[in-house]
Amino acid sequence: MSTTQEKPRPLIDDLTRPFWEAAREQRLVIQRCQDCHYFNHPPRPVCQACHGAALTFEPVSGRGTIYSFSVMYQPNVTGFGDELPYLNILVELEEQPQLFLVSDLPAAQRERVRVGGKVEVYFEDVDAELTLPKFCLVA
Amino acid sequence: MTWKGKGKTAIVGIGYSELSRRPQRSLGALSLDACRAAIDDAGLPAERVDGLATFPEAPFHGAGTQDGEQIVSVEYVMNHLPLAPDIRWYAQIETGLVASAVIEGVNALLADACEYVLVWRALHNPRGRYGAWSGNRAPGDAQFMAPYGCTSIFQWHAMAWQRYMHRYGATRDHLATFVTNSRRNANLNPNAYFYTTPMTREDYFAARWIAEPLCLFDCDIPVEGCVALILTTAERAADLRHPPAYIAGYGQNTSRRRALFHYSLDNYMESGHSLASKLWASSGLGPQTMSAAELYDGFSPSTLYWLEAAGFCGEGEAYSFIQDGRIALEGELPVNTFGGSLSEGRLHGMGHIAEAVMQVTDRAEKRQVPNASAVCAIDGSPMLRGSGLVITREP
Ligand SMILES: [Zn+2]
Repeated sequence: MSTTQEKPRPLIDDLTRPFWEAAREQRLVIQRCQDCHYFNHPPRPVCQACHGAALTFEPVSGRGTIYSFSVMYQPNVTGFGDELPYLNILVELEEQPQLFLVSDLPAAQRERVRVGGKVEVYFEDVDAELTLPKFCLVA
Repeated sequence: MTWKGKGKTAIVGIGYSELSRRPQRSLGALSLDACRAAIDDAGLPAERVDGLATFPEAPFHGAGTQDGEQIVSVEYVMNHLPLAPDIRWYAQIETGLVASAVIEGVNALLADACEYVLVWRALHNPRGRYGAWSGNRAPGDAQFMAPYGCTSIFQWHAMAWQRYMHRYGATRDHLATFVTNSRRNANLNPNAYFYTTPMTREDYFAARWIAEPLCLFDCDIPVEGCVALILTTAERAADLRHPPAYIAGYGQNTSRRRALFHYSLDNYMESGHSLASKLWASSGLGPQTMSAAELYDGFSPSTLYWLEAAGFCGEGEAYSFIQDGRIALEGELPVNTFGGSLSEGRLHGMGHIAEAVMQVTDRAEKRQVPNASAVCAIDGSPMLRGSGLVITREP
């Protein structure tokens, strides 16, 4: 049923293009305020913390911890039907509290996933145009 | 200092349409049923209604916005009911859920902008899978979630509850107490979708996962239908059919969000306090003086977060607070006495307001809390935009 369906792809816009272009080059970058140094993700036109507009993308470590996770059982998202159930983790990057990214993991890793567990970024090439930064468990 | 408007306005009529999963009639027709029922309940000639307010938002992005079919706007009601020939005032709220529409109505009455306000909330139950994401291009913030299969509100609630369990030691067993208590109350509420369907703890544990750690019964039951209310000033209320349910205070959540990526559990106390502190300050009342609490339960954990954020118990204590019958109808703090959205049906908080009115006017029949003098109704989860009311027996 869903085997032939493509998963959703990002509709890349001017604000988010640097994030996705860096991902193509296997780099994780996050928008950062040059005035107050706050990381904004998803990217914003003005800084969430100080409302300044001096925002550029900076490389981050790609290391973080699992803030929380859930196991998805519903075929709600196009293209994910064959992977049910799958895990989603909310990753808090080590650079800043509540600087979150989402990733998916195979359900087989369920027993190893725990709140506070360490993860690091890797890059999954979907096709010639799109690379998704994802996170995997580290020992 | 207590709010100047305390006890100066009241809810004087309630109307329910049929609530069902797949009705034969349009949402527009059901909404007119609810509006007419509310006007009749107040004992008011329809042509006296000269103010209108609603919160018409569709239940999720992509659920449709066709007026009279998927939403019911001010425009629709104005065109389809024989109300005052010249409506004096209306408001159509975009944020804060339906308690914010009630708050607007209260403000309009206090400003003498109109005399009788009709407030309704119509909810559509779209065909197909609830909240499904069918687009293949994810715009805006969704571009950082949809490619990972994380698009549904229940996945975020599941992650917040996972975090809560980890932090405070709560388990599903604790949540089962809340969900089955709500069902027991719904079994005493003829308006409830699950009026005739009991639920045991075993039923709860046997339910399928939606997004672990949340199961089917941790999610509210989507229904199609409408609930309507009539509001007026305390002076005018005295001449109507039922005793008035006075608006003692109100509050909206105006907290600033730190985390940009949807919401985390970390700010629920502070965020919920933004709403609750205004409820208690305006009414001059507090959690310890509430006879019952009608707390939003789009997903079961939200009510627990509210018990903490609104001060009914301390942070991290709600899961133990709700045990041992404390939140039952006979308990120290009856909670969601009508069954909540989990068991009455998804009305985005309108059922909570209607029940607070029923309780303080002794109209709750078999689920009546004796001498209920003050009941709060809060819409929305503490980490999201919501609003609430304190409703009292005396002005
Ligand atoms: Zn800044």
